[in-house]
Amino acid sequence: MSESATKPMVTATLDGRTVTVPKGTTILQAAETVGVWVPHYCYHPGLSSPAQCRLCLVEVQGAPKLAPSCVTELQEGQVVHTESPKAKEMRQGVLEFYLANHPLDCPVCDQSGECKLQDYVHAEGRVHGRSREPKRGFGRDDYGRDVLFYGDRCGRCTRCVRFMDEVAKDPRLTVVERGNRSVIDTFFEEGLQGSAFAGNIVDICPVGALVSKDFLHKARAWDLDHSPSVCPNCSQGCNIDLHVRDDVVQRLRPRANLEVNHHWMCDYGRHRYEWMNRQDRIEVPVVGSSADGVALEWGLALRQVADRLANAPQPVMAVASASSSNEDLGALAHLVRALGGGEIVFRSERAEKEIPLPGFPTLTRRYDLVPNRMGAEILGMTRVGKDDGTGGLEGWAAHRGTLLVLGDELRDVGVDFGPSAGLYVYLGSYPTPAASSAHAVLPVTTFAEGEGTFANVEGRVQRFWPGVRPPGLARPAWLVLAALVERLGGAAVPESAEAAFLRVAELAPELQGLTYEAIGTQGALLNEPVALPGSRS
Amino acid sequence: MSSPLDSARPSEIPFRNPGWAGNTGQFELTEAEVRGDEYIGARALDGGHPSGAPAFPFMLVERNPDAPLFEGPYKTRFEKILTRYPDVQGALIPVLALAQEVRGHVSPSTLQEIAQLTGIPEAEVRGVASFYTMLNKRPVGRFLIQVCTNISCNLCGGDEVLHAFLEYTGTELGETSEGGVFTVTEVECLAACGFPTAVQINSRYYENVTPAGVPALLDRLRTEAR
Repeated sequence: MSESATKPMVTATLDGRTVTVPKGTTILQAAETVGVWVPHYCYHPGLSSPAQCRLCLVEVQGAPKLAPSCVTELQEGQVVHTESPKAKEMRQGVLEFYLANHPLDCPVCDQSGECKLQDYVHAEGRVHGRSREPKRGFGRDDYGRDVLFYGDRCGRCTRCVRFMDEVAKDPRLTVVERGNRSVIDTFFEEGLQGSAFAGNIVDICPVGALVSKDFLHKARAWDLDHSPSVCPNCSQGCNIDLHVRDDVVQRLRPRANLEVNHHWMCDYGRHRYEWMNRQDRIEVPVVGSSADGVALEWGLALRQVADRLANAPQPVMAVASASSSNEDLGALAHLVRALGGGEIVFRSERAEKEIPLPGFPTLTRRYDLVPNRMGAEILGMTRVGKDDGTGGLEGWAAHRGTLLVLGDELRDVGVDFGPSAGLYVYLGSYPTPAASSAHAVLPVTTFAEGEGTFANVEGRVQRFWPGVRPPGLARPAWLVLAALVERLGGAAVPESAEAAFLRVAELAPELQGLTYEAIGTQGALLNEPVALPGSRS
Repeated sequence: MSSPLDSARPSEIPFRNPGWAGNTGQFELTEAEVRGDEYIGARALDGGHPSGAPAFPFMLVERNPDAPLFEGPYKTRFEKILTRYPDVQGALIPVLALAQEVRGHVSPSTLQEIAQLTGIPEAEVRGVASFYTMLNKRPVGRFLIQVCTNISCNLCGGDEVLHAFLEYTGTELGETSEGGVFTVTEVECLAACGFPTAVQINSRYYENVTPAGVPALLDRLRTEAR
């Protein structure tokens, strides 16, 4: 281990296993390295540890009292038992207290299925509670924004209080009152209005006390499929999970990546997922103008489009989208090259300001509200238009050569786009008036339905995985474009998104040497240092 | 052990200061210097002698909920409090007590003002103020009557004393009587277990209180209130 050279190590015995960790590691973290999961509420890897939930107490041989493992550092030669009768009895007792005032409303609780209290009590709790006192009730409180608070379910772990204090640096939550009347609240009616990161307290709440209004009673946790992904709403590229039920994205949740977003994401990105569920989709390839267009199956459609592309009128101009993956953009660049080369532009929305997370400024809602501006730029595409993502295509109406569009809906241009083009091929997911003069409209998958990579603002290439099945005949754009290239006499169609990614590297030296394996779930930096468009330089 | 309340005979010691042992000649301080000029409901504007400093958040001088916070002698005391602690968080509780001395209770707007004055987040000020039961979050009467119903007092009839207070003041628990004279609350141990039932009225302790003694006590307080 490289750490051992710089840091003194300690070796101890933990549940009969020998564990060697750097000095200063807590017992809880050391236990995780050998797969021992100590129950805990108040400890969170992104926050300080107040050691107040009393659930992570473990037995240290020779110590008179149980030790809170989240703050106790592992010492050389220590013998720790997390499953000894003493520790288990203590946990059972603590859990009984947690349930003394808990409403046990799991059947209507959104957290049910991913609730730490449920899990721990199910694993180690008493079969019957012994409390005969009436339970005290709080009801619920609307904190504003997306956060709803159910006081009765709360265990006072204060993760939310510490998140707002330490990470959001906006200490608006506190514990009010004392004893069993204590409850989490803001300053009276102040709420969480104006906080750009408040949604994270819903994620870190180990029980169902803080729930999302948007997700309220929408889906059960056990019905959700989790697909690792990357937030497509700005160029920060926060690692997320798509939570999907029946091919409908229900919510976005941050996925830990200590170099990009830690455990957090912003509310801006979190709440922009509805577009992934749009039902108005282009579902079949249509070849021919809007008046006499014919829906075709892919083989026929590709052959007809390729036939026309073989005699593509020059010059070739293409509009791409910075919301497309590197694979899609690379395949488009390959096609344009196969047609004899031409200009590729993209338009993207830019915010007026960045929104940094004060406690972890690496995570910032960036200026660019598209996920892959970096990828588009290293592939030689140029950004045109205004900061609201419109304009820049004023001269294109008179274009008489070949027009290719990938992904951009061209809402501001409408039916005026490409009427005089010699050949106009539109690849997109959503029907748009701008495609009405297209000679072919080809359905492609969205970000949520496909596999690929984005390059974020700092030049980190990150993978996303499909979470939703594509509708109809929609296919990944890289596949469609590569099939056209093959029919034009180019390279064979890549067998997978990974192969398509390797082919993109031919166009961009920055990507050379990177593979899906190297990128993994945490991303990998581009080979060459790149200027950071959109970052605070 | 007899309490002034149990007997009708006038006490040798003036009733207004039952805890004052009289001038024993041992110390040179007068009661006024120790207690402040007016004992009941009053504390010297400058805070009085240091021996009285840690206690008495219930000794309310102005009790004007609209009074400006920390002006004149209160401003001096506020600044003095800030110098006593290494950080401003430490000074928060005495500052809250001082605000209560001025206004009678700490309302949300008072908490907001204190947050601005000290630079402590509003939520934290509220959290601290709500934790401590000696800080009144709502307006209370001229006399805040706190009846102990903890173990010793309970065994000696604390509940009956509490009910007597509620009955003779005509209030519900925590409610303020007409004219803003009395507020009766139930408290945990007052640390006077040797003399149950213990009752604290503003800063003053009344010991061995019985239900029978309640009407006379209230009458006396009403007289003082005029």
